[in-house]
Amino acid sequence: MGYVFDLRGVLSGQYLDWFLIGVATTLALTCAAWCLAMAMGIVLTLIRMIPLPPLGWLVALYVEYHRNVPLLVQIFVWYFGVPSLLPRPARQWINAHHGEFLLAAIALGLASAAYIAEDIRSGIRSIPKAQYEAARSIGFGYLGAMGYVVLPQAMRIAVPPLINQTLLLFKNTSLAMAIGVGELTYRTREVESYTFKTFEAFAVATAIYLAISFGIMALGAYSGQRLKLEAR
Amino acid sequence: MLEILENNWLLFLVGQYPHGPIGGLAMTLFMAVIALALCFPFAIALALARLSPYRWLRLPATAIVHTVRGLPLIMFIFWTYFVSPLVIGRAVGGVETLVIALVVYEAAYLSEIIRAGIEGLPKGQVEAARSLGLRYWPTTIKVVLPQALHNMLPSMVSQFVSTIKETSLGYVISAHELTFAASQVNNVLLTQPFEVYGILALTYFALCFALSSLARLIERRISSGRGGAPGVIVAA
Amino acid sequence: MIRFENVDKWFGTMQALAGVSGEVGRGEVKVLVGPSGSGKSTLIRTVTRLEAIQGGRVLVDDIDIASRKVDINRLRQRVGFVFQAYNLFPHLSAIGNITLGLTKLRGMGKAEARERGLAELARVGLAEKADEMPGQLSGGQRQRVAIARSLAMDPQVMLFDEPTSALDPEMVGEVLVVMKQLAAAGMTMICVTHEMGFAREVADEIWFMERGAVLERGKPTDLIDSLGHPRLQGFLRTVSHGGDIHR
Repeated sequence: MGYVFDLRGVLSGQYLDWFLIGVATTLALTCAAWCLAMAMGIVLTLIRMIPLPPLGWLVALYVEYHRNVPLLVQIFVWYFGVPSLLPRPARQWINAHHGEFLLAAIALGLASAAYIAEDIRSGIRSIPKAQYEAARSIGFGYLGAMGYVVLPQAMRIAVPPLINQTLLLFKNTSLAMAIGVGELTYRTREVESYTFKTFEAFAVATAIYLAISFGIMALGAYSGQRLKLEAR
Repeated sequence: MLEILENNWLLFLVGQYPHGPIGGLAMTLFMAVIALALCFPFAIALALARLSPYRWLRLPATAIVHTVRGLPLIMFIFWTYFVSPLVIGRAVGGVETLVIALVVYEAAYLSEIIRAGIEGLPKGQVEAARSLGLRYWPTTIKVVLPQALHNMLPSMVSQFVSTIKETSLGYVISAHELTFAASQVNNVLLTQPFEVYGILALTYFALCFALSSLARLIERRISSGRGGAPGVIVAA
Repeated sequence: MIRFENVDKWFGTMQALAGVSGEVGRGEVKVLVGPSGSGKSTLIRTVTRLEAIQGGRVLVDDIDIASRKVDINRLRQRVGFVFQAYNLFPHLSAIGNITLGLTKLRGMGKAEARERGLAELARVGLAEKADEMPGQLSGGQRQRVAIARSLAMDPQVMLFDEPTSALDPEMVGEVLVVMKQLAAAGMTMICVTHEMGFAREVADEIWFMERGAVLERGKPTDLIDSLGHPRLQGFLRTVSHGGDIHR
């Protein structure tokens, strides 16, 4: 019963190194997935703007799949499923080059893209039709009105939800532990099973997650105030 | 793919039951329903505390909500996994662990939905009730919450979908639910991971998509009852 | 300059315009009056194809605007449009609202566009507000910026869709002054408005519309002072008594 809470045991020597590597991996995974998510989110938005119904359905299918299947299952499909469909050399290459990190980044990024595309779309929808009409009245075509008037406003509205997506993405990188990516949660379990200092190990991880999350939340709150636009 | 389904559909549906513990889709749904039901009172309490005029209620509630929002669910699951046996004084199974973690986690998110629902009500509603002489609790219980909860119905169905998806994390602590069942099937077959996890993904998709569509339907009902949305750019 | 020939417009089963004909010559000012829902706004919105029409023709400089040969974006640069709700772009400053079209559509350099924009702002008396955001301006100032934004594109016609209806009473005057100056400078204008004083002063002709048709048209003196059609009398009484008929 005489349990002594002592952080020194888990915050020194190789255990400290493990934590640091874990944080670095978590951040790297967040960045990689974020870039993919942004790029894919914008591509999805652009495809949806093409007035061709089948393309719209495809994007909708993409969005619905990624929103209605648990992220962990999506990660499993990518990690266990997709490589089994690839030719042998590709599989070997993946295994030799930290495939779990790459596949986790793909799974996380593609899933996040679905939400990002929706955020951008609702940003566009929240711009009154009159703004579009006013731009057309000056003589802009569809692309000009979208590019110079609607999208700049829509992106501002979409920034706070996009930062919130970043927060969710950051938290979701923890799921990559299930396929053996050495991110923070995975490393924490390692430290815990080597030192048997369960509470210390998880307290450290909790503090790190909270610190980074609060930073992202603060950024979201700040941007929400900075980017607010007043009446037209 | 069909062959896998033919041979394993029972495992997907109810786990090893009746030869072992119940699991699979049945357990997934059971956990999601129980977790959401149990977290509901906590969520309402948190929401009311966050809207309270008293700092000593508002600050702790705000801190709880932000802390939960800042942590991955998996952290809660591990904390529950280690702490709850100490608190309860006996070994705690995977299902119980997951439900406890989900209740805490979902309460914070659901409280935000409830808070938004309450804040979205016209101010006149509270003022009208207070003008009639109703005190805080009658106003809250008879006037504010019924309207807010009605408006929130779609969000709550969406929250149920989120909860279903989150139960998949039970896999990590070997709670016998749908994802765990699929991983067992995969371990037996070994050679067809894409098919097995494809079936798993499609199962979740069918269930969650149906519920999401229901949420959208309810939302349209509710908003059309209030005169619909303002004009938007059609081309976008 | 602009000719309407039997224009029909339907919103679903509701007929908004029923065979409207009429002509606006170069340098003329026409004022459209009538109760709300009578089709005035719809009529001027057809000129720049903000509303498509189902019957008849709208011609600008004798060219049917519905024809395939018309580059609608070119046409819209030549026909200025001022909205009731200003519709300034909130993410751009006053000058930014004006220079957007000059730089992106006219290919003007930044410095030149700014100079031109400042000149237009000076014309509406707002040169010193150039770098303010729309949110910092009053309603009257916003509407003047919106007018300057249209003028910067060198339009040959200006269309005004109830430009003062959304304004507080004390700001109506400043916008009307700008419009009167424009009229005096020989701009071709079609104005939808309830400001009868303005109509009397600058209109060459008033069109009184009801239920999608022009019921009566004539010189302001004839139409207002001699009080022709009984429906018009009723309408004028509402307006002069300050009745808020457009809401």
